[in-house]
Amino acid sequence: MSSIKIENVFTAYDKADVLMDVSLNVEAGKITCLLGSNGAGKSTLIRSILGLTPPREGRISVDGKDITGAATHKVIAEGIACIPEGRRMFPKMTVTENLRLGAFQVSDEALIRQRMDHVFDTFPRLAERRDQLAGTMSGGEQAMVSIGRGLMGGPRILLIDEPSLGLSPLYVKENFKIIESIRDTGITVFLVEQNVRQTLAISDYGYVLSGGKLVAQGSAEDLKNDKEVYAAYFG
Amino acid sequence: MDIGLLGQYLANGMMLGTMYALVAVGFTLFFGVLDVIKFSHGDVLMLGSFTGFTAYLGVLAVGIVNPWLTLVAILVVSITTTAALGAVIARYLVLPLKSAPPLNILLITLMLGTALREAVRLFYPDGSNPKAFPALLPTASVDLGGFALRADSAILMAAGIAVIIGLNLLINRTRLGLAIRAVAQDEETAKIMGINYTMIVLLTFGIGSGAAAFAGIMNGLYYNEINFGMGLLLGLIGFSAAIIGGLGNIYGAILGGFLFAGLQTVGAVALPFASAYKDVFAFGVVIALMAWKPTGLIAERSSDRV
Repeated sequence: MSSIKIENVFTAYDKADVLMDVSLNVEAGKITCLLGSNGAGKSTLIRSILGLTPPREGRISVDGKDITGAATHKVIAEGIACIPEGRRMFPKMTVTENLRLGAFQVSDEALIRQRMDHVFDTFPRLAERRDQLAGTMSGGEQAMVSIGRGLMGGPRILLIDEPSLGLSPLYVKENFKIIESIRDTGITVFLVEQNVRQTLAISDYGYVLSGGKLVAQGSAEDLKNDKEVYAAYFG
Repeated sequence: MDIGLLGQYLANGMMLGTMYALVAVGFTLFFGVLDVIKFSHGDVLMLGSFTGFTAYLGVLAVGIVNPWLTLVAILVVSITTTAALGAVIARYLVLPLKSAPPLNILLITLMLGTALREAVRLFYPDGSNPKAFPALLPTASVDLGGFALRADSAILMAAGIAVIIGLNLLINRTRLGLAIRAVAQDEETAKIMGINYTMIVLLTFGIGSGAAAFAGIMNGLYYNEINFGMGLLLGLIGFSAAIIGGLGNIYGAILGGFLFAGLQTVGAVALPFASAYKDVFAFGVVIALMAWKPTGLIAERSSDRV
């Protein structure tokens, strides 16, 4: 099981800092969540970890190995996968091709097939639609493809960016259940969300980000009962 | 018109169509992965022909006379060198300008094309004069009802079409092609999938430039002549073909290439003064097509590429 350590990270777009001195730990085998409103810098932290927007200062490491500013494909090679915000299908590709891309760095074809079968077992709906273009599917179905694609590479750490965004409550509930079961298979989960109540219900530990700074942290249980944090950040 | 002449026009049109398609595929691939128009593409093709010609001289100098061996040497040297050149252009000219306005890349590649052209004219031995490209393919012909199909034409066309089919399979059936399509559809998500973005861009530019080199060799073998300015018109036609087909769409590029050749052929056959106005006619129809379907015949939304 793997963990991520983020130390004193500053990340900027065009010289304006979006993240300021952020330090946090994503513990092995747990669901760690990062809560915050729109524009708090949550997605920027994900982008920093992935090397899409490298931090200008600070250190990010996976199991002690420094990955700060590494090219994205090298970060992925460290056993990290990401279910990006808005699901980000390859719209003109089939479900199968989308899933295949999730395992791009896997060269063992038998393993890929085995994982794909597993995804189809988890989401029978995708099995029926394996040759459909992902761009023509509903939001809920795309969410399934996105989750499946995130698991295809056999990651040790999964970064999930706003899985509830734009989904009906029923799908949100379903997705959170799946995220819990992913954690139970031993995959470390870093969950970025705005949906406070449901996120804390499945998380082990949580951080609150506001205006690019960490303003609160604690076990999910503590955060749930912290009236002050609730009032201040989630109104 | 007699059937023999018609057959001749048809064969010629098919040949040109194959060449244009090979050039257009490059434009469409570059646009797919990087959203850029690389205007030096035609001159890269010209350089491919000259590299092939140089390889021919080299093979001759070491005393190899077997035409097939010579042909293999020409193709291998030309395609690998030109592919490498395409990757180098992508690495040092196009990628660094990725976040600059697209007009800058257009201008820079336009200037690069001019520089390549002038460099060959000035520095290649006697570069300002056309070079006699060797006829390496058998010239025996089969009589097809009044029309003589020459073996070299048939071989060239078959090889060209095989390369187009091969490129298509590469893009649609291989792991590399999957990565190229992923980068074309969504660069950032492709990176998140663990795809080495820079590598894929360089390989794509290599593949597109290699295809152009092949078209350049075809051109040399077909007309038995190459010159420093040959890339200008071929590049423009390839670009037009890619645009009519719907830039970013590989089938569109192939269709566009054959369509343009068809227009030229129709222009040559049907118009008075014969072939003198065939390009005017073909480009005129392209302009009309663009006015009718501004996004190309195979309409693509901006997010749907390759």
